[in-house]
Amino acid sequence: MNYVPGTSSLIEDIDKKHLVLLRDGRTLIGYLRSIDQFANLVFHQTVERIHVGKKFGDIPRGIFIVRGENVVLLGEIDVDRPCDTVLQQVSIEEILEEQRLEQQAKQETEKVKMQVLKDRGLSIPKADNLDEY
Amino acid sequence: MFRFQSLDDDCTLEEEDEGHVEEEDEIDQFNDDTFGAGAIDDDWQEEHKRLAELDERDGLGAGLGGGGLGGESDLGGADLSSSACRLPPPPSLSALGFSSSSSGLPPQDAEDRAGEGDLAESLARLILDADPAIAGVGAAERPGPPPGSSGPGLSALHRLDQARALPQPSSIPHPSQAHQHPHHTQHQLPAGPSTSGLPPPSSMLSYQQQQHLMRRGPAPMGQMNSHSIWENSMGFGPVSVAPGLVTHMEDSPLMSIIKEVGLPKRPPQGRNDEGRDLSERVPPPRSSSPVIGSPPVRAIPIGTPPKQPMSHALNHQIHHPTAVHVRAPVQHRYPTPFPERLSPNTLLNIANSPLCRGPFPPGVGPVLSQIQRAQLLNSQVAGFPRGGPAPPLLPGSGGFRPFFGGPPPPHGHRMGPPPPHGPPNHTPPIRHNTTHLHPQHRRMLTQRMQSRGGDRGRTGGDRRSRDPYSNLMTQKEKEWVTKIQMMQLQSTDPYLDDYYYQNYYEKMEKRQEKETDSSKKEHTTKLITPQVAKVEHTYRPVQFAGSLGKLTVSSVNNPRKMIDAVVTTRTDDEEKREKQVWNKRRQILYTVEKMYSLLLEVQDFEKRFVQAPEEDRESLLEQHKNNTVQLCNSLREKEWEDRVSDEQCVMIMSVRKGKRLISRILPFLPAPQAAAVVMAIARNLPALAKKDKQDQVLCWLVEPVSAVIQSLSSSTLTDLLQDLQGSEGQLASVLHNKFGVTLLYLILSEGERMQSSDPNCQLMDDNRWTELVFSVTRELLSVPSSSLSPPLFVPPNLLSLFSRYVDRQRLELLQDKLQISDLSR
Repeated sequence: MNYVPGTSSLIEDIDKKHLVLLRDGRTLIGYLRSIDQFANLVFHQTVERIHVGKKFGDIPRGIFIVRGENVVLLGEIDVDRPCDTVLQQVSIEEILEEQRLEQQAKQETEKVKMQVLKDRGLSIPKADNLDEY
Repeated sequence: MFRFQSLDDDCTLEEEDEGHVEEEDEIDQFNDDTFGAGAIDDDWQEEHKRLAELDERDGLGAGLGGGGLGGESDLGGADLSSSACRLPPPPSLSALGFSSSSSGLPPQDAEDRAGEGDLAESLARLILDADPAIAGVGAAERPGPPPGSSGPGLSALHRLDQARALPQPSSIPHPSQAHQHPHHTQHQLPAGPSTSGLPPPSSMLSYQQQQHLMRRGPAPMGQMNSHSIWENSMGFGPVSVAPGLVTHMEDSPLMSIIKEVGLPKRPPQGRNDEGRDLSERVPPPRSSSPVIGSPPVRAIPIGTPPKQPMSHALNHQIHHPTAVHVRAPVQHRYPTPFPERLSPNTLLNIANSPLCRGPFPPGVGPVLSQIQRAQLLNSQVAGFPRGGPAPPLLPGSGGFRPFFGGPPPPHGHRMGPPPPHGPPNHTPPIRHNTTHLHPQHRRMLTQRMQSRGGDRGRTGGDRRSRDPYSNLMTQKEKEWVTKIQMMQLQSTDPYLDDYYYQNYYEKMEKRQEKETDSSKKEHTTKLITPQVAKVEHTYRPVQFAGSLGKLTVSSVNNPRKMIDAVVTTRTDDEEKREKQVWNKRRQILYTVEKMYSLLLEVQDFEKRFVQAPEEDRESLLEQHKNNTVQLCNSLREKEWEDRVSDEQCVMIMSVRKGKRLISRILPFLPAPQAAAVVMAIARNLPALAKKDKQDQVLCWLVEPVSAVIQSLSSSTLTDLLQDLQGSEGQLASVLHNKFGVTLLYLILSEGERMQSSDPNCQLMDDNRWTELVFSVTRELLSVPSSSLSPPLFVPPNLLSLFSRYVDRQRLELLQDKLQISDLSR
């Protein structure tokens, strides 16, 4: 039933499995249990899914309350549909390790880049600082 | 227990006679509103425990429960009543309170009782079928005293247990709480055998609350006028508890008496309650409150989820300052037996069958699903157009929801208790559709929803029914969120906010009118967009009857003036004059400064000249000459005049610094100009003297002036004396002034010197000098001694001067007067 005719609301999404992407880049999957006017979300049986390359790992997190402003996108997961993904699930330790490596590699390249820019007298501010502006 | 008492102590805002039931409701409502309806901590503790246990031993409970619950089923009849009879109602209340350890409060009790009542009823039906699942659930909780009371469903079971099992603890809180429930005793229904121990208190409660409701009926209406804002805002809490209570009460099969008592009172109260309930939900108007100036203190924080069933989700006007939004009343004639917050388990187990059925046929029994109930409510209230999986219940967009408060629409009352079975058979009378959506739009939407919802609803509902954690967000809460979202869509100016929408539907309407016959009203219903009433938000200060003036209380909406800044605008003329005066003075000062700098240069010349090397001396000399010239020039009023300007001199002398300047300049001026300056001084002495009253610096001029005088020729001297005497009465004023007297003496003594030293002096050539002296002496004699100011010094040869011109007698007089010592003789 449509609670808010003519508009869209999260009411219909309650008790359904969702995937939410947060502003800090985390991906959470869980059952949306409750919402409020700010689109704060209450997730149940939440799982944080970390993707590194073709692998992913799920970390069970329990109950999550996400502040509405930190949500980038939210989408319902159709549990009935067959999951035909090329991604390969690995264990938590492995995926965390992979993530760490990826993060490390990224930092290295970032460092090198910054150094090169510095040598040339340029500086590019980090994207997250621009948020405030 | 502790909390209960402490909260009692704190909450003094409530009137005592209200009974502490409301107070406790209020108290608990804080908790509830903070954490969500039903999220009473013992609730979630219980539920958590239950769920945890459920996860662990799934099948275990079933076996245990069967036997236990079988015994419990009898509770519904005899045991409860017996236990009830044993315990007087207050202690039973307290027992309930005690059993819910952390927060066990009557409101919760009320709700639990409500839930218990409902559950009991449902139990009565289903237990008879000996559903093992329920038994299992019940049994799982049996062992040991639960730490706190559970959610409405199972807590009831607990209480049923504990009311029997723990009579002793109840006696402990009893004395402390006995005094708090005086009314309970008063309004006690006879705890007859027909009434169980628990229900009587609840029924009594409800009765009492009904009484309170009746009493409190007009209160919210009069919020504007009465000063009992506290009462009203606080009163909402307890008041709002009642309807839910009452409605739940009604369904308990164990409380037949209550039904009799409660029903007749409910409808009118229900209306008011709902109104009050709604107004409670309304955030206070952003504008100033007319009462005192500050927004009313809310017992419940703004924007908290609802606690009680709230069917008129969007039916109030947030801009409307009056708290009363008398909406079409909600007649919970056939409310669901399901309590507001059922644990997933209970819902799962108890309501499993109905849910699995999918769309419900009309005329379904009293065991309605949550969804069904919501739909019913909506249909009654003409709430949101809910198409969807229950077409028999709702005729698509049949619900017309008047959007605003204000006087209730005439058909509002008619909407009263609609037939629960099936949709209203008649098309509702044509009401103005004042919701946001254009009727065409709504029709399209509902069609869409139906088509989509139909094929999806079955599987989704199925899955959701199996999900033990579903429906954690109650219908109320969903409605509440929706309400907020819809409120944000209200618009005072639809054409501004949603121009294209308006235009599109206007066009569509026009098109339809052209196509179809205009007699078909339905098609060409005009869209009447909601007009949010623009209420005056100005602050009218509180006025007490019979008093003068208004009481001004500054608040956030009505800040008081800190500075009473008054703008004084001067007229143009005045300003001009003032400016001129200032400008002139500035000009003089400026001139003086410039001259000073020149003077300093001139004075320093000598020093520099001596120090400078040979080659530079000439240039220095040149410079010096220039400076001097410039200095002289500056005394001139106009560029081309040679004479020293009187006015300029006077102007300069009007400033103290100017006087000093002149005194320093005089030595450097060439003789004629110096003489001219002195003459100017003499001429304007009275004026200068007047200006000098404050400064008294004229006397600085004595030395340079005397130097100048001594260089004067006789004729010039005479002229000078003449000037000094000037017009009639000038001499008198001259004599008044110290400097003037001194100057006079200087002149005279110079004249005398001239005469005595040089027999050929031209002083006596004409009679002017003699005459002048004569007049001077005359003046001197005539002037009273007091007005004669003592000179700076007395030249010694004055006496000889006077002796020349006056006879002995006068001479002696003069001598005395002027105190000229007889020296030169």
